[in-house]
Amino acid sequence: MDEDQSAEETTFVVDEITTVIKEVVESTIGNSSYQHSKINQWMSNIVESSLNQLTKLGKPFKYIVTCIILQKNGAGLHTASSCFWDNTTDGSCTVRWENKTIYCSVSVFGLAI
Amino acid sequence: MEEYHSGDEVSFNPDEASNVVKECIEGIIGGVDYSQNKVNQWTASIVEHSLTQLVKQGKPFKYIVNCAVMQKSGAGLHTANSCYWDTTTDGSCTVRWENRTMYCVVSVFAVAIAL
Repeated sequence: MDEDQSAEETTFVVDEITTVIKEVVESTIGNSSYQHSKINQWMSNIVESSLNQLTKLGKPFKYIVTCIILQKNGAGLHTASSCFWDNTTDGSCTVRWENKTIYCSVSVFGLAI
Repeated sequence: MEEYHSGDEVSFNPDEASNVVKECIEGIIGGVDYSQNKVNQWTASIVEHSLTQLVKQGKPFKYIVNCAVMQKSGAGLHTANSCYWDTTTDGSCTVRWENRTMYCVVSVFAVAIAL
């Protein structure tokens, strides 16, 4: 009984977090075209809102949220991450989003306290 | 056990991590031009080597190493990070590197383990 509850609260749930992040990205840059002057504001908004929503979940985790925005220009972009942590409790998820002029990639890493 | 803590709280040293990462990058893509079929191999090597070197330091941290490699073609690239952690012990560092044909950005996040 108690064990079940604590297991749910202390492991990283990928689906829930993916949903949260998708909503944040949609509401920030959903219908916009790439605009150099607005990028900083969009990015701050995405990472801060994501972090706020994640901490609202109330789980005993430290979070790192990374956001990459790339103009669709034909350039190649490659990213990789490697992590040294506790496999049973920690986890990550990456949300890739795009529209006609922007690629956006948001990664969330959650580490159990 | 006791000697590991030695009464001092261990905090992340970004300069040291930065040097470790720079050497890894140089060693892997130091003198080469952007090549689409090699990029995946490069990014994987960079993160793995950096992680191995960081872990060798033997400090009580969990690490996340993130690497982005981009071809120089005039496109705009922006990245941002935000972190919810213990600011006294945890930290991050970001290394930006470039050569004639590509940009490379590596971020290291270190989160203290409560022993």
